[in-house]
Amino acid sequence: MRSRALGLVAITLTSTLGLAGTVGLAQSQPAAAARPTTAAKGKVPRTPWGDPDLQGVWDYRTITPLERNRELGTREFYTEEEKKTLEARAGRRMDGPPEEIRPGLNHAQYWTDPGRFVSDGYRTSLIIDPPDGRIPALTAEGRARQGRAPNRNNAVNASWLDRGDQERCITYGLPSASLPTLYNNNIQIVQAPGTAVIVHEMIHEARVIPLDGRPRLNDNVRAWIGDTRGHWEGDTLVVETTNFNGKHNYRGSTSGLHLTERYTRIDDGRLELRLTVSDPTVWEKPWTVLLPMRPTEGQLLLEYACHEDNRSMFNLLEVARDAEKAGKAPTSGGPVDDRQER
Amino acid sequence: MSKARVVFVVLIFAVSVSSSLRAHHSFAAEFDANQPVTLKGTVVKMDWVNPHTWIHLDVKNPDGSVTRWMIEGGTPNTLVRRGFTKKSLEAGTEITIQGYRAKNGANRANGADMILPDGKRLFLGSSGTGAPSDGPDAGQK
Repeated sequence: MRSRALGLVAITLTSTLGLAGTVGLAQSQPAAAARPTTAAKGKVPRTPWGDPDLQGVWDYRTITPLERNRELGTREFYTEEEKKTLEARAGRRMDGPPEEIRPGLNHAQYWTDPGRFVSDGYRTSLIIDPPDGRIPALTAEGRARQGRAPNRNNAVNASWLDRGDQERCITYGLPSASLPTLYNNNIQIVQAPGTAVIVHEMIHEARVIPLDGRPRLNDNVRAWIGDTRGHWEGDTLVVETTNFNGKHNYRGSTSGLHLTERYTRIDDGRLELRLTVSDPTVWEKPWTVLLPMRPTEGQLLLEYACHEDNRSMFNLLEVARDAEKAGKAPTSGGPVDDRQER
Repeated sequence: MSKARVVFVVLIFAVSVSSSLRAHHSFAAEFDANQPVTLKGTVVKMDWVNPHTWIHLDVKNPDGSVTRWMIEGGTPNTLVRRGFTKKSLEAGTEITIQGYRAKNGANRANGADMILPDGKRLFLGSSGTGAPSDGPDAGQK
């Protein structure tokens, strides 16, 4: 079922612009008074070869922030009133004109697609562990690495190397590509005997996951999105990723980043990801995200070939060189990475 | 105001800020928030390219000359899903763009709002245009 809101936007456009064939991406109906579910209900669909069938295009848009607001302490759920207020505000921001434009916001909000709904019905944060819903404290090395991340305000933009890998369209990186962001909040899962593939719409990355028990790569082999192995634990697909090259610098992450993703089909309408992030060099302890997803109901994943015409890179370097010629202070790079990843 | 109400107001503000600051590219590296521009002109073409679309706009100057501007728009995936397709903005259409100019004074801008010939604003779906203004209905998650 298409959402009423998107349907009405499409109707509005159709009437004002004469559009035909709109393809608004559906956000599905929730389970009534959705609360976290930890075990699969009912019969999980199976592939012809007997594995749990997780295949499809899954939508994980949400307005719930990664980290809980400190004011809420250990409160996991919004009240009904809070939820309604937040979702109403999100709907207005999506459908109406921008309330405010300021540096760091480079789109009108109706040109973005971050979702309209609180995660899991009422969740106040995507992080479910630690109990305060926040990323654990940084180590000293973690603080130092965060300070060295590209795209900081002091970036001089001497070259494209001063910009982050996301802005350069190299990769959206992990765990970034598994967490909600401004748009393209979809993954596709495809399965074959002994293999699963997770395709991330954001910078269209495909992760091919062997499920046949083969050993992981030698420690000397490193990759932007690491090396992934998977296995089944009951009806849950467990995906372990290591061997990162450490260049992505997700909030300071290193080559020692270790991700454990647990995908479970909860019912006909829901896939649940539990993602545990560990990097002892950076964080004092691991942290876990719960991210429910809904099927997009026939909508395909769209290619996001970010490098196709990445004019922003040319333009921002031109701005920096022109500023130098004019004898102005180095161009501020402006914040991007850490904030977009919430 | 009760303590619970204060907490909630803070909460709303925090959610607003966190969601508004996410962007794939840096606004500040390219555009100047202190240089708002309003450009009334004729659409030459729209580039449907990743990661962002660009609208080419011919703007007539007071002396009769024409300046071509390039306006950065949303990402193609999102536009299509919101119902905006390649047919939505034909060459020759008179539009007004409100946005922010490139920091180096180039004839480029980051588009914030588009006003169509009939005065309607693109994707303005709030009160009076049929889209919900008071939150999602019960059928939405």
